[in-house]
Amino acid sequence: MLVSEIHYPRDLLELLDLMRRLPGALLYAGGTEILRQQAGRGVSLPAEVICIYGLPELRKASLSERYLDVGAAVTLAEVLELAGSALPSLLADALRGIGTPALRNLATLGGNLASRDRFMDAWPALACLDALVELRDSGGATWINVNRLRGEDGRPAFPEGGLLTRVRIPLERWDALALRKVGGRDYPGPDTAVFALAARAEKGILAAFRLAFAGQVALRLQEVETRILGRSLPLSEREHRAFSEEYREAAADLPEGLAVQFGALVDGALRLLAR
Amino acid sequence: MTLPFILNGEDVSARIRSVDRLSDVLRSDFGLLGLQSDCRCGSCGRCLILLDGRLVPSCIIPAFRIRGREVVTIEGFAQTDEYQDIVAGFRSAGVENCGFCDASKILSTAALLERRARPTNAEILEQLSSAPCRCTDPEALLRGVLAAADRRSRRIYRRAR
Amino acid sequence: MRRREAPEGGRRLSVSDFKAEGMIYAATVRSPVARGSVRSIEFPRMPTGYRGILPTDIPGANAMASFGTSIPVLAHDALAYAGEPVALVAGPDPILLEEISASTKVLCDEEEAYFSWESFSSDQVAAKHVAVVGDPDLAFSIAETVLEDSYTNTALEHYYSEPQGAAAAYDYDKLAVWCATQWPYHVRDSVALVLGCKNEEVSVRPTRLGVHLDGKLWYPSLVACHAALASIVCGRPVKLLMTREEDFLYSPKRARSSIGVRAALGRNGDLTGLDLRIAVNLGAYAPLADEVLGQAIFAATGVYTCPNIRVEAYAVLTNNPPMGAFGGLGASHSFFALEAHMNRLAASRGEDPMDWKSRNVLRKGSTLLTGEPLREEVPYGAIADRLARMSDYRRKYACYELVRKRRGDRIDGPLRGIGLSFAYQGSGPFLSGDDSNAYAVEATLDKELRLWIRTSAAVGSEGVLAIWRRSAAELLGVPLESVTVLPPVTDEVPNSGPSTLSRNVTVVNRLVDRACEAIQKRRFRDPLPLTAKSVYRVPKPIQWEEGQVRGSPFDTAAWAAAAVEIELDPWTFEPRPIGLWICADGGKLLSPERAAASLRIGASDALGACMRERVDPTERLGRRDDFFRYGLVPLHELPPMTVAFLEPSRKAPVKGIGELPFNTVPAAFLSAVAQATGVRVSSLPVSATELTRAMEAT
Repeated sequence: MLVSEIHYPRDLLELLDLMRRLPGALLYAGGTEILRQQAGRGVSLPAEVICIYGLPELRKASLSERYLDVGAAVTLAEVLELAGSALPSLLADALRGIGTPALRNLATLGGNLASRDRFMDAWPALACLDALVELRDSGGATWINVNRLRGEDGRPAFPEGGLLTRVRIPLERWDALALRKVGGRDYPGPDTAVFALAARAEKGILAAFRLAFAGQVALRLQEVETRILGRSLPLSEREHRAFSEEYREAAADLPEGLAVQFGALVDGALRLLAR
Repeated sequence: MTLPFILNGEDVSARIRSVDRLSDVLRSDFGLLGLQSDCRCGSCGRCLILLDGRLVPSCIIPAFRIRGREVVTIEGFAQTDEYQDIVAGFRSAGVENCGFCDASKILSTAALLERRARPTNAEILEQLSSAPCRCTDPEALLRGVLAAADRRSRRIYRRAR
Repeated sequence: MRRREAPEGGRRLSVSDFKAEGMIYAATVRSPVARGSVRSIEFPRMPTGYRGILPTDIPGANAMASFGTSIPVLAHDALAYAGEPVALVAGPDPILLEEISASTKVLCDEEEAYFSWESFSSDQVAAKHVAVVGDPDLAFSIAETVLEDSYTNTALEHYYSEPQGAAAAYDYDKLAVWCATQWPYHVRDSVALVLGCKNEEVSVRPTRLGVHLDGKLWYPSLVACHAALASIVCGRPVKLLMTREEDFLYSPKRARSSIGVRAALGRNGDLTGLDLRIAVNLGAYAPLADEVLGQAIFAATGVYTCPNIRVEAYAVLTNNPPMGAFGGLGASHSFFALEAHMNRLAASRGEDPMDWKSRNVLRKGSTLLTGEPLREEVPYGAIADRLARMSDYRRKYACYELVRKRRGDRIDGPLRGIGLSFAYQGSGPFLSGDDSNAYAVEATLDKELRLWIRTSAAVGSEGVLAIWRRSAAELLGVPLESVTVLPPVTDEVPNSGPSTLSRNVTVVNRLVDRACEAIQKRRFRDPLPLTAKSVYRVPKPIQWEEGQVRGSPFDTAAWAAAAVEIELDPWTFEPRPIGLWICADGGKLLSPERAAASLRIGASDALGACMRERVDPTERLGRRDDFFRYGLVPLHELPPMTVAFLEPSRKAPVKGIGELPFNTVPAAFLSAVAQATGVRVSSLPVSATELTRAMEAT
């Protein structure tokens, strides 16, 4: 029976020091993604575990006119409650679709974003909202766009050794927001993914268009989005077909079921613009 | 390792291993059989407890994680007036549970009413989805929670007067 | 009166809560191959206090009789499914035991396994039955319209209240066994056989059962044999409780079925011929094969009268874990296929299915598959009218048909449809095999005018006990509080048979009443205490002959119809139910509130099967993704549900109604999706991906 050594840092400095000294240690906040996949009697964890849930620096949240800042160890339920109607509905829908209310009292936003194996449910919404994440190490802190958590190959590319401390969510006006989960709702598997769309029009011209689809790999075609921008609404039948085909081609490497669903979701999104 | 924490209002300590789930520690070490250690993946809701006042599934919490925290199980909650409100509300609405999910439904209701004294039907159904069971009659459960909310509000109002 | 546990009203012990001084745990070592034989079992080095248990440790027979088949307690020479128990390990720490079990090396000589079941070899046929009426070949050759399709059901997980488990310990001169079971006497007899002792030397003390959906009919006996064996070998009390994941992967599931339906219509749209081919995958051993097939065959013609019928049904053995009962036996599979098909038939003629059904429905005197006439009225008209009013079915059906036809390929908003399904649940003895068909209940009225009822019938909820007690109290004119149903400990109660097929309200209820009536007749002339025993011997209901079936498949039937309205997300085509209505003729309702609740509960389960619940039985060791993905429909995704009962006639008998939702809701759901999309839908759960594919193709 592998018994783990458990560490309880009291503040961020102590945590960063532990991370430096124990590079293979598991950071344990909500732990829901770790333990949701272990249904045996005992819990199986690496040799070193660092408990980060209670750290005050990771549990803060603040709301301003332009941003919602959320500490990485703030639970999903707390994000939904604290932000209330200020939380963009795209993110609210994504979070509310995760697990049960009880599970959301345990799962953290940071934990959802820091997954190494796949993109979890919050990523597509945060990608469309152009959210930022603060990463810290003993050298200091940097903010990076959530879209940079996606590698060239479309897989998660969370920086090694970095500690996610905050998530900053821009609060903007949107005319169209849509979120859909496909492939099964409760357990992220190879055939499940989340689709997010955010769009805004100004004087009949498409001023913002962001579309993300993520499961084990993530799709976000920023060059296509750039070409859609600036077009007059509604889109023509020809424009709809052309963009739909581009998206479908980009999804060709996805598992077939997901590719089919993605195509239908893109068509749904483009139909929205056609109205 | 030794784990100090607050259990049902009392300071306690348990000898645990890193492999131990909180649900198993509560059942084996403290004899608190009101919760079950069932699915062990946080979905069936039979292990629900209140951790620092929040409803959580204890089966996916390793015991080490609750050092210094406050845990309330159904046995502790059963000493409160709120518990009586809920049990009476369920009874008046004809809620019949299978005997395995009762605690989780009661605690789910308690956590909801603490936040929302007069919950909507949608809020009730979403909250009680934390405790799914094949014995559930959705209509009776909805009536039961509303009846519990009503009893609770009237009791608090009487006390305030 | 010796009582070991609190009577009902006190909270009965569960296996999870069971504890005894000196108790140790047991865990199961399982076969890594689906077919073959064990060459050797190598336990890892174990600390003191832990040991392995092999088939050679079994003092009695390494076999358990179960509903027409024999199942090894610890398999050795003929492994039948991956995950089959081959050994046990026992010791004080359940977490360490799990590791020991996982690291035990089981070396096997593997053989090619059978997983194919929709087409299969003759070796795989566990049972086959054929029933023919009239001349179906002729009917099809001259038919105006013939429509053919096939329908499949996935396996389902019972997700009962507690995973399978048992505990065993010596209690003076007996071995006591604690487990949650629908049939305590089956546990007793199985354990006695394995231990090589007399039945009376085993005392079964049923624990809290909760919801079981027929998942605890025979499998608890196997787990009880394991616990008992470990207890005898180790000389200690032993508890064996499966984890939910383990239970999901290896305990019996609802059978999978594939049903091909061919229907012939005459010029007026009358049903002139039915030809069905039913294949039910019962996994390894196929217990209950005859019963499942029997129920599936009788339900295959649904509620319709048809002069020319052929039904060919196969129970197929595969090297999946055993599968079988789930809220009934085989009827729901057939009702699903037939009703979905009949709805398609009606729609293809441009006719409202409700009208088409009313022209072709059975009536009193109609000839059944057995050649016997139907002895009761089928209240189709009353049920249909009431359901139509409750659900506004007719208007919605017409409206959604029109919308779909005019929509073309423009999808502007949610797609909607409404489906209808009509079925029945037969009440009666329909179970053979190991069932001795003799059920008994005893009652004693003591000098203090307290009534003690003794029955081995297992109840999942206090509601059924309340029904028996109330009925007994009324018959004897005693207060309700003075009536007690004793815990069903086998050395203290008679064998009341397996608690399945609604017997608790249709058979046991009657036996309780009869025993009380017998006491009532004697109580004012004979001194108290008085004991009466009421026995019900059930004749074998049906006989299979070459191409014919004879007998009465049920004593009486409860009839019902369901309407389900769905809405599909226009982007994902995921179906969401937005309304569900059931109208039933449930006969005499012992408790109308409980009856309505049981239909709503059953409907919630049935919707799970329509929307999301699925198990793909394993080929190799487990599909853990299926377990983590499996879940009931969340409460907030259930639609509003409305249940109504027809007013029963004065002499209406008590009928079983618990299976009605599963017999009606799936076909109604499927047909609603088919109407909304206009595409062919033929399997459950409905897959949004498949629908998307089909919608894009049109």
